[in-house]
Amino acid sequence: MNIAANNRNLQLLSGNHAVAMGAMLSKPDVAPVYPITPQTPILEKLTELQTEGRFNAEVLTPESEHSVLAACIGASHAGSRVFTATSSQGLLLMHELLHYASGARTSIVMFNVNRTPASPWGFWPDQLDSLSQRDTGWVQLYSETPQESLDSVVQAFKIAETVNLPVMINHDAFYVSHAVEPVDVPEQSLVDQFLPPFVPPFSLDPEVGSSFGAPLAQDNWNKSRRVLDAAQAAVCDQVVEAGRDWGALTGRPYGPIEQYRCEDAEVVIVTMGSMCGTVRDAVDRMRDQGQAVGLLKVRLFRPLPVSALREALRDVPCALVLDRNYSPGTGGILHQEVKAALFGTGNTTKMHGLLAGVGGVSVSSDRIQRLVGEYRDKVPSPDAIWVD
Amino acid sequence: MSREPSFLWSNSTSEGRLTGTWRTASPDYRNLPSPCLGACPVNGRIATWIGQVTKGDYHGAWTTLVDNNPFPSIAGRICHHPCETACNRVEHDEAVSICALERYVGDQALEENWQYPKPETMHDQSVAIVGGGPAGLSAAYQLARRGFRVSIYESQAQLGGLLRYGIPSYRLDKSILDAEIARIVNLGVTVHLNTSIADKGGLEALRAEHDAVFLATGATKSKVLPGLDYSQPWVRDGAKFLAQTNAGEACDLGRHLVVIGGGSAGIDVARTARRLGRDVTVLALEPDDLLPAQRTEVVEAREEGIRFVCGAMMQKVDAGADGLTINCVEVAFTPGAARGQFTIAPVDGSAFTLAADAIIPSIGQDADLKKYGDLLDSAGPVIAHDENWQTSSPGIFAGGDLTSMDRFVTEAIGMGKEAAMAIARFVDPEQPAFVKPSDPAVPFKVINTAYHSADGRESPAHVAVEQRLQSFGEVQQRFTKAAAEIEAKRCFSCGTCIYCDNCYFYCPDMAITKLDQGYEVKLDYCKGCGLCVAECPTGAINMAEDLGR
Amino acid sequence: MEKIEYEEKGQLYSGHVACAGCAEALSLRVVLNTVGQDAVGVVAPSCLAVICGAHPTSSVKIPVFHTTIESCAATASGVKRALDKQGKSQTTVLGLAGDGGTYDIGLQSLSSAAERNEDILYVCFDNEGYMNTGGQKSSSTPEKAVTGSTPAGKTTRKKNMIDILAAHRIPYIATASPSHINDMVAKVEKAKAIRGTKVLVILVPCLPGWGIGDNAMVKTSRLAVESGVFPLFEVEDGTRYIMNHTTKTQPVAEYVKLQKRYKHLSEDDIAGLQAEVDYDWDRLHRRVAQN
Repeated sequence: MNIAANNRNLQLLSGNHAVAMGAMLSKPDVAPVYPITPQTPILEKLTELQTEGRFNAEVLTPESEHSVLAACIGASHAGSRVFTATSSQGLLLMHELLHYASGARTSIVMFNVNRTPASPWGFWPDQLDSLSQRDTGWVQLYSETPQESLDSVVQAFKIAETVNLPVMINHDAFYVSHAVEPVDVPEQSLVDQFLPPFVPPFSLDPEVGSSFGAPLAQDNWNKSRRVLDAAQAAVCDQVVEAGRDWGALTGRPYGPIEQYRCEDAEVVIVTMGSMCGTVRDAVDRMRDQGQAVGLLKVRLFRPLPVSALREALRDVPCALVLDRNYSPGTGGILHQEVKAALFGTGNTTKMHGLLAGVGGVSVSSDRIQRLVGEYRDKVPSPDAIWVD
Repeated sequence: MSREPSFLWSNSTSEGRLTGTWRTASPDYRNLPSPCLGACPVNGRIATWIGQVTKGDYHGAWTTLVDNNPFPSIAGRICHHPCETACNRVEHDEAVSICALERYVGDQALEENWQYPKPETMHDQSVAIVGGGPAGLSAAYQLARRGFRVSIYESQAQLGGLLRYGIPSYRLDKSILDAEIARIVNLGVTVHLNTSIADKGGLEALRAEHDAVFLATGATKSKVLPGLDYSQPWVRDGAKFLAQTNAGEACDLGRHLVVIGGGSAGIDVARTARRLGRDVTVLALEPDDLLPAQRTEVVEAREEGIRFVCGAMMQKVDAGADGLTINCVEVAFTPGAARGQFTIAPVDGSAFTLAADAIIPSIGQDADLKKYGDLLDSAGPVIAHDENWQTSSPGIFAGGDLTSMDRFVTEAIGMGKEAAMAIARFVDPEQPAFVKPSDPAVPFKVINTAYHSADGRESPAHVAVEQRLQSFGEVQQRFTKAAAEIEAKRCFSCGTCIYCDNCYFYCPDMAITKLDQGYEVKLDYCKGCGLCVAECPTGAINMAEDLGR
Repeated sequence: MEKIEYEEKGQLYSGHVACAGCAEALSLRVVLNTVGQDAVGVVAPSCLAVICGAHPTSSVKIPVFHTTIESCAATASGVKRALDKQGKSQTTVLGLAGDGGTYDIGLQSLSSAAERNEDILYVCFDNEGYMNTGGQKSSSTPEKAVTGSTPAGKTTRKKNMIDILAAHRIPYIATASPSHINDMVAKVEKAKAIRGTKVLVILVPCLPGWGIGDNAMVKTSRLAVESGVFPLFEVEDGTRYIMNHTTKTQPVAEYVKLQKRYKHLSEDDIAGLQAEVDYDWDRLHRRVAQN
């Protein structure tokens, strides 16, 4: 681990600029982008890097996120490595093409800055935009910090190009996107070592003449979903492998989930994104106070790493799932997903689903500590619980 | 690991899907007859040879022409061209100038001295042809080129018949006639001039000498106008007048001449007399628009200062010291069912007179049915014959004016051809029969006129009137090369493929294959839409019912 | 008559499932054969998708990507940029869309691609309606025409797509008709040689949608050209207008009478359409004069 640490190139970067650096280092060929708050700094940094000659992709700026993704799909099928970034309304405008991109088995990497979807209008950290796209066939990763965002972009290309599925990485608006932190920007040679050039399995090649997208008969359409399912099933191992390999090169390993101080934990807090940082602080403090509390960070949300979650929560007496999103009529999406993952395993964890931080409201370390106290002995409610 | 999206891709062509099963009809390349072909007395493949002209293949065009008619230069000058009347182009703008084009090609052949190839095989059978006019020469040509031995017996001193003695040289220059006849004789035809087969015995002897005889002595007896005393010095039969003047004899008639008869012969007489410095009036039974002569002849005659008195008849002639007073009356003229048939009724109170020095009746010719006694049956005004042109006397065939009231040169040429083929088959049953085109002609409505602009026809130049009257030189001139090329391109080529590739390029299913010469339908893929037929500029393709594969 | 001349390279295969006598299939044949094999197509949902497709076969020799209806120009942009980056700039990227995917739902992405002057050849097969869904009106449907969604006839004019495109000042815009194949070939060749956004709008009479016979699409499109309803012209750089068929020799009445979608028209209706055609024709010619 120290090998990489010795070669650190620390720069003070916002989360979005870290994403742009990650994209630059991954050397995509084509980058269609459209501005939207709070994603815009990614776009601007990339065009700035391009102007400086450091980012050599074909950058195109269509009139909408919809066309952005359409261009991404075309470019990917023409055999190129493709990167884009968006947020909230932009992601939702892409919805139709999110399905299209995965059905077409593209290897697009897209960065989404999680922001409240309108209406009402808001520009606040909230993961409903991407979580509501969970059935579109995209691999979804959630990032906690600017460093993780940079690292995840590079890993995402490796994953996407291995399984031929598009990958969406998310980080929270402002809490991560605009938070400035020291970020280790790896050497290009290191990234090149990790990420070989994209070799598409098939592409639109006049010398071959194969075409994509003609309507399929029912049986073949059905088959396409089975093949997609098989690809999804392979994702988790690829996330493990990429995170491990990246860790070997940089000293920063990643996985589908992260268990932080979960040893013999009586309460495990399950969450995603920037909330993990706050929970980490709360866990440290409670552990200092002698409380056996841990963090279960879900980094890979799609496909959900069910086995890892089951293992991580096997003997945990109590779990608090903190959702910075609200699925109307249901509650927190992560809560539903984790419960469903454990169903039928004989797991006896008392699991509380708490809507904490919806719409970007601040959830402090103190508040998290109090929530542990409030809920650790309660009987879980079947309803969504709003916490202040 | 699943890196297998390949099955989502389309890797094979659609050619395995046989869309021909959708079809209920398919295109049929039949090259149906053009209306001109059916109208042409010799059944000339007009669309074909004009197509050859458009490609600059004049020798090919001439070869196609002379397949049916050894006289393209002559026909191109004097044919009554029913082809132009039938021409589909009439409904678009104006008929193609087929006749003038034919002359262009014919004259090209004479200029280049193109000759007929010698027959590939020779036969021992011999055929005697009595009469060296258009029908006899046509038959001689068709038999000689098939390798039969042919002897022509001509009563006159030169071959040509009516062409030589009846048609003035301002319509047909004698050098043209001589050259086209010489080309036939060069095929190896034996010619006996000044040899008249005058009676039954002569004909029987000839029949015995040859394997078959073809009689084509024409209609040599002038019709006689009732009430006119032909013995008067101021009456001259039209045919005699023409024969004399064509032979170069001086005209001994006075200054003011009245020609009776509005047919071609009458106009020929009138225009000949005009060239001899006479004042000429044509008196015709028919009203102007029904004059039997060709319209161009009437127009040119009028240009030359000939006066027409139409729809009237002579009743009586008073001869006085100052000349003749011809008493006339106007008539109501009603055409009959067949050519040459009509009824007339004098119009009361319409009497008028014409002054003249002489009268030239020119009202037509009859066949001499008595010449061979009872050897040949007659049928009305002509010699009877069966569908093979054979008379009641086996081995004796007849054609031309002797057998038909269709008194046109090209009709005679056509009869000569058909009779020759029948004779060939008579003397050698292995010879192919003549087959008259039976498919209906391509109608105008199947011609896609989008491919044909409507600019009107090219017309050959005419010599100015003043010059015309000073000589017997030809009035109509040959097309210029440029005009011939333009005019040839006007041909719709009705029913005849011009290899334009429209059918090939307009097929949305790539179901037409181009062959070296022509096209083939890929029935596996033809959906039967009919675009190829609709976009064929010549109507050479038909949709035929075809319930798929 | 002018002979049709282009090299048939086998770029469209037999066995496609276009209707018998389809104008779109024929036009596609011409376009593909003129463009040749070094090309990638992006197909928007439309009858084109049906003609090209039916997995696992393809009726087209070049690779095509079937995209969503509103995304043709955007997807084509992405393909082109990818090929450029791979050093394959010589490969022609074709956008192949219907009028719905061009005039309506695809206008936004097309406008954007045109504004960026993406190096694509966009071909709109304009059959004046949503014919693949059974014949509903689009903004390309002409006034008075009956469609499934305008059973009494459309009350507004056909959108003037060429004017809209010209306003983008792209290097090349042209109209074409399957009745004038040589003209279409020349335009595809010209467009292919130009870098930047080129748009070709081809009028493709739809047999069931317009109510014309299986063998009538060439005649109908020819009348559209000769009546001035669909003039053949080019616009260079959005400003220079070139007429390719300079005469207006047929009345609009001749054009509409072939088509069942117009069979309800009164003489006044036809006179109204004629007046509009005359007006547009004069306007076009004034622009030519202003070059």
